[in-house]
Amino acid sequence: MAKLILLWLKCVVLWAIVEAVFEDQVGKFDWRQQYVGKVRFSHFDTHVQSSKKVLVATERNVFAALNTRTGELFWRHVDKTGSEGNIDALLQHGQDAVLVVGNGRLLRSWEINVGGLNWEVVLDSGSFQSACLVGQQDMVKHVAVLKKTAISVHYLSNGHQKWIENLPETETVDYQAVYSDGNGEVYVLGVVPHSHIAIVVYSMEDGEIIKQVNMSVEAPWLYNIQASCVVVGQGMLTCVDSAGVSFYMLDLHLQLQMTQVPLQSLALEVDPGFHPVLLSHQPNPARQPLSEFFLQLGPDHYQLLQLNNGQIAAMRDFKPALLVSFATTGEKTVAAVMSPKNKTVSKCEIERSLPSRPVFSSRAFLHIACSVNLFSAETGRRLLDTTLIVNMDPNGGKPEKLYVQAFLKKDDSVGYRAMVQTEDHTLTFIQQPGRVMWTREEALSDVVTMEMVDLPLTGTQAELEGEFGKKADGLMSMVMKRLSSQLILLQAWIGHLWKLFYDARKPRSQVKNDVTIENLSRDEFNLQKMMVMVTASGKLFGIDSKTGGILWRHYLHNVPPNAAFKLMVQRTTAHFPHPPQCTLLIKDKDTGLGTLHVFNPIFGKKSHVTPPALPQPILQSLMLPLMDQDYAKVLLLVDDQYKVSAFPSTKNVLQQLQEMAASIFFYLVDSSQGRLSGYRLRTDLSTEQIWEVIIPPEVQKIVSVKGKRPNEHVHSQGRVMGDRSVLYKYLNPNLLAVVTESTDLHQERSFIGILLIDGVTGRIIHEAIQRKARGPVHVVHSENWVVYEYWSTKSRRNEFSVIELYEGMELYNSTVFSSLDRPHAPQVLQQSYIFPSSISTMEATLTEKGITSRHLLIGLPSGGILSLPKMFLDPRRPEIVSEQSREENLIPYAPELLIRTEWFINYNQTVSRVRGIYTAPSGLESTCLVVAYGLDIYQTRVYPSKQFDVLKDDYDYMLISSVLFALFFATMISKRLAEVKLLNRAWR
Amino acid sequence: MASPGGQGGGGALSTRGGGGARRMKWALELSLGNTRSRGDRQGGQGDVVYPIGYSEKPVPDTSIQETDKNLVEKRCWDVALGPLKQIPMNLFIMYMSGNTISIFPIMMVCMMAWRPIQALMSMSATFKLLESSSQQWLQGLVYLVGNLLGSALAIYKCQSMGLLPTHSSDWLAFIDPPQRMEIMGGGMVL
Repeated sequence: MAKLILLWLKCVVLWAIVEAVFEDQVGKFDWRQQYVGKVRFSHFDTHVQSSKKVLVATERNVFAALNTRTGELFWRHVDKTGSEGNIDALLQHGQDAVLVVGNGRLLRSWEINVGGLNWEVVLDSGSFQSACLVGQQDMVKHVAVLKKTAISVHYLSNGHQKWIENLPETETVDYQAVYSDGNGEVYVLGVVPHSHIAIVVYSMEDGEIIKQVNMSVEAPWLYNIQASCVVVGQGMLTCVDSAGVSFYMLDLHLQLQMTQVPLQSLALEVDPGFHPVLLSHQPNPARQPLSEFFLQLGPDHYQLLQLNNGQIAAMRDFKPALLVSFATTGEKTVAAVMSPKNKTVSKCEIERSLPSRPVFSSRAFLHIACSVNLFSAETGRRLLDTTLIVNMDPNGGKPEKLYVQAFLKKDDSVGYRAMVQTEDHTLTFIQQPGRVMWTREEALSDVVTMEMVDLPLTGTQAELEGEFGKKADGLMSMVMKRLSSQLILLQAWIGHLWKLFYDARKPRSQVKNDVTIENLSRDEFNLQKMMVMVTASGKLFGIDSKTGGILWRHYLHNVPPNAAFKLMVQRTTAHFPHPPQCTLLIKDKDTGLGTLHVFNPIFGKKSHVTPPALPQPILQSLMLPLMDQDYAKVLLLVDDQYKVSAFPSTKNVLQQLQEMAASIFFYLVDSSQGRLSGYRLRTDLSTEQIWEVIIPPEVQKIVSVKGKRPNEHVHSQGRVMGDRSVLYKYLNPNLLAVVTESTDLHQERSFIGILLIDGVTGRIIHEAIQRKARGPVHVVHSENWVVYEYWSTKSRRNEFSVIELYEGMELYNSTVFSSLDRPHAPQVLQQSYIFPSSISTMEATLTEKGITSRHLLIGLPSGGILSLPKMFLDPRRPEIVSEQSREENLIPYAPELLIRTEWFINYNQTVSRVRGIYTAPSGLESTCLVVAYGLDIYQTRVYPSKQFDVLKDDYDYMLISSVLFALFFATMISKRLAEVKLLNRAWR
Repeated sequence: MASPGGQGGGGALSTRGGGGARRMKWALELSLGNTRSRGDRQGGQGDVVYPIGYSEKPVPDTSIQETDKNLVEKRCWDVALGPLKQIPMNLFIMYMSGNTISIFPIMMVCMMAWRPIQALMSMSATFKLLESSSQQWLQGLVYLVGNLLGSALAIYKCQSMGLLPTHSSDWLAFIDPPQRMEIMGGGMVL
């Protein structure tokens, strides 16, 4: 028996071996894009003049170096998600970049050329406040880290702690900033809110307190030093008070008293309601900061000021100016100012002044050209020939940050490049006089939801479709139509041949194969699709699935940061000449109010259809298979009064809804109250609750609810048994899998629950409780099975469990499925397995007709995407092999599921932090398109049953055609020879 | 069977025509020595010149005799019982070939099924053969039964090999997915 099992396993292994791609297929139909996220800190590598690096530390806890020529990544380090990997500060000196990570938990130094780790030290606990590099005699050798209660100084070379000192009077004083200007002293600045400033001066050598100032410097208006104060010139702490509309200055070396300088005395006026902000620059941590600094007086108003002998003097007024930045190269420091180029800015101002109402209109940010100019920091004079035009993307956001890389040209004048960060998280790198070198769409590092939409047919394809779509009108006209369309096809083919011929004469480099929005068309097998991606920042993208090129982008302004999105395809491309239509439901989680954004998924343009205004908070939406006269599917929106509104709501639709109302049901799951409830639609579009299931939220919490995907097809209605009878599947389209987790997380008492419930009737089909198990639970619900993964606290391992539902040996009703008429409960089979890794996300493959066997696509935290055949997760896997089970091709049960390396569909293309996997059918039954998104985006195709409907990539056309031709000629020749021979014989 | 002319009947010349013989409607060769080909060959066999109409073989006696009648009867029974006699042989082959589906058993089954069908199709020809027999109808019946048995055996073999669509699983692919009566949607409260 053991031998038999072994043989069988061998068979399985051999059978399943050709899953991975071959070496020459790498990159042929898959691509990966790597992102870093919204930039929080950025530094240009300035220690070498010709350096091409820009360091970025992002809000997604990524530290990376970008190539300033191409925008590609040199290297990238992805830290833990959440606050544990949060990058608090980025300091750069020479070849080292020092990072404070995880609220002051770790101090790390990276070598920026290759991205290697120099050292890492664990800091003492305490919440992080501030960090700075400390220099002495023009040498920067230390880094000071200020925490809530202590300050520590570390060597830059090896991270060793030089000294650590507890801060005095930490109960009352809130220490917020640390400053050093290279004179051997470290200043720690703290504040007793609304009372006074506290300053502690430490000696760099041994951490001895040289001076301590408390109580004497009154500052009742101050509560946040970092927000309102900077150090300027020779250690002059300069603060701005928005309430008192004045400067306060304090010499850190003398620490006598704050001097007040009203802004009026400098003829400065703050925009009403604006909190003025100061911006200073310290080019070298071992030297004093510049005595010039910027004061922002309004959203688009900056003032360059200079501190001279304790006196502030206004140097230059910049209005309108969107962003300002300092940059230093060599000994020269310049100020870059970005200002709108033409009058359209007034529009943008209007938009800004609007209260942040959720209005998602494309008119919000009109096309703006901005210009960046350089000004000498010392004199405030504009430098000649330093204008740089920035054409803002009309579908992008407003510029948010400006990073300037200045360099000395050969004639000793200052040249520069600018990196602009806009509020849609886009990084644009621009060279003089306005050439965009690269753009990075960092919003794509946070994709929330996506859909794949078929590309439109070409004109000729549409013509053909039209021919078959139209009603028959007479034989003759049909023939004529057929002939004409064939003629058009011929014409197109000849045109294609001519183009091929024409292109062949040109050198290869000139032939452009770029996919643009104009030449988009469906390919033969519908393998190329439009990926519509919705990102958390509110930017929508249209990406070509074949190349990964971004074909359109659209930024929705005023999307609340914690919005929930739901993307629905209302009309596909199949209804020419009606344009395809997607609808995005955006719901503000705070107010509950929702808005609809209706757009064309191919071109990204906002649709002319006006979405209905939604005055009530929206609970859910559901897409009905009904269509209006324009072939748009009907979207039902359920508000908090459980009233339903339809979109589009034409008369036709309402009539259809009235007719269909009796068969339209919907369910709502309120996780906070543990309530599942089902509703029925009445003909007057009101609703009626028909069932309710309460899961007490004190005991267990509903984690997720999974229905079946509406576009899923199941070809086979049953499974063939070994004795050739059929076990029919229980294919309930209304079945929901509800996953609950216990609130008690103790490892002995925690459990997870799976509830299979009929969404129409509320009938509980099956209930399973997994004791001593804990989430996070990942669940896939498809066909007649539910697969879920959990952490078993008892055995301390990840486990998979599969539930399959069967109707039995006979179908109750083979023609229609109604949840209301199901007298028999299904048979439930369940089996569990051990999985050697935790998982990030899970999804099942999907094909056109559902003939192809299914695989589970599992995103692993290691960055791999595993394609696990569903065959291995089959509750009918027998423990004892019998003749029948062998006949059925069942693999004998083994508790362990192995991870085979050839099952990784992304070979070495690691996908960091996979959050979701999206699968879509292609025109080929064998092929399923897969997109994995997270920090990176990876697109590929999978063939769960191998490519049974396509010739292989390496199919030898040459061999087969040459053999055919050879045979053909051989027959011709031999025929001729035979004739000759016959004739000769006849002559004899 | 070799053609009788090949053995060289001296008198019959017309069938053995070379190129020259075909051109004429008929020819009678009186001087055998003139024909090259035949003359050479016959000369090789023995230089005997036969007169016209002489045959080397003895002419059979065609008068009907009583024993012949029995012989015809026997011969007809042979024909009629032929299919039945094959059945044990077929059974043996069936047993030997087993129930696995591979090329040889399939070929065997095909042959086993095809032969009776072929025989049944050419039933009229067989009847013609049996015409001369007195028990023609009985023999025909026996022949038919034998062939039917043979084909039944083939079908049984197909059945035991699982080639017949007799189970519900064989029709599984033709079941259409049931139509959905209710429309349902919804989800977690957004």
